[in-house]
Amino acid sequence: MNPDASSQALEISLSAARPRTKPATSELEEQVIALFDELRARLLRYVLGFGLSTADGEEIVQEAFLALFQHLRLGRSRHNLRGWLFRVVHNLSLKRLAKNGRCAEVPGLDGGIAESRHDPRPNPEEHATSRQRRERLLAVVQALPAQDQQCLRLRAEGLRYREIADVLGMSLGSISASLTRSLARLGRADGR
Amino acid sequence: MSEKYTHPSEEELLQLADGELSSHRAAAVQSHLASCWECRARQQQIEATIADFVRAHHETLDPLLPPGAGPRALLRARLAESAAASMREGNWFSSWQRVFTARTLAYASAAFLIALLATLGFYRALKPHPNARVHLEPDHRLTPGAARVVSASEVCHVSYSDDARLVPAAVQHQVLQEYGVDSAQSPGYELDYLISPQLGGTDDIRNVWPEPESATGWNVRAKDALEGRLHQLVCDGKINLATAQQDLATDWISAYKRYFHTDKPLAPL
Repeated sequence: MNPDASSQALEISLSAARPRTKPATSELEEQVIALFDELRARLLRYVLGFGLSTADGEEIVQEAFLALFQHLRLGRSRHNLRGWLFRVVHNLSLKRLAKNGRCAEVPGLDGGIAESRHDPRPNPEEHATSRQRRERLLAVVQALPAQDQQCLRLRAEGLRYREIADVLGMSLGSISASLTRSLARLGRADGR
Repeated sequence: MSEKYTHPSEEELLQLADGELSSHRAAAVQSHLASCWECRARQQQIEATIADFVRAHHETLDPLLPPGAGPRALLRARLAESAAASMREGNWFSSWQRVFTARTLAYASAAFLIALLATLGFYRALKPHPNARVHLEPDHRLTPGAARVVSASEVCHVSYSDDARLVPAAVQHQVLQEYGVDSAQSPGYELDYLISPQLGGTDDIRNVWPEPESATGWNVRAKDALEGRLHQLVCDGKINLATAQQDLATDWISAYKRYFHTDKPLAPL
């Protein structure tokens, strides 16, 4: 999906729905569900990138949308709700990681998930090389500083630099520097 | 092209592709790219790396994403619940807000709390209360249930008597007195263990109560049947001993319905 188009659509749908008075609760519920449909997979992938389990991820995403519902019920700002949700999910993920005690293994590197995944391509050689490339790339991502990883994953989920800066509390300039640095490393690992 | 236009940096190439460059600078870089094959190739390399990363990102994580229908339904239910809860709170607060200022509300709550504590204390002082009605479930304040420290394998290999009439006479007397049961009336009741000895219950006064003979069939026999079933489930390893004890101590009739899948006590075999 084109992130620009979706972010524009989001802004438009929200500003069109923006009422003068607080909207009815059922209307808010529908808006929250619509955002959930649009953003659940992206938010969940972002949580999983921290090495948290799917169960933790689902819980964190639910909590974030309940918080969003309260936020909207209280008539608070509707500006950039997508960035708001990612920020809440980011903070809840860090909290959960601290509670779990340590960073769990990020999927893909230990081979468990990569091995068990069904790959429909018939050619085993091609299969092996593409899997090796993927694992090499993921190894490079994992070796990046945590903030660079988060930056890259947020960008991959369609966030603009301004939104990433809000989520991570960084300046706009450091976002583009971080992304450039990460892509250069990935490019070298990929033999590009 | 004049040499004063230096090649754009990697960062600028990325910013251009991401639409994050100022329009003035974007135009300059675009025009440079139109003339410079080298920079176009660099830009394409960046795009190819992005494509590789995005593919790896999705291939690794997407298989882990469960279908969204369940979580969506759960969220819907939780939103409705949350809305209903704050609606109740809101209504309660706004209607009382008109009557009380915050300060009088604080006094009122304090007074209410004191009254509540006093009532509770008074109620406790009342026991044993002579007019107590004996229900199918014991009074949990008087008979919370008591069990000894015992393992599941022990209760499965040793047999215990379930006859509560064997509890010491002094304890029997005290139990009847606590429940306000006349000894004259006693034939209508049968002393029973709340947690049966075969599941670790003791003959402590907290674990013995007069169980009424009831026309509804919720009586000592039904409870014995439940105890037998729980004992079997524990020894088969289907439930743990603590669960069985908890089931008996909190609400044995619901436990019976659950474990026998019935709403009525089954006819004795």
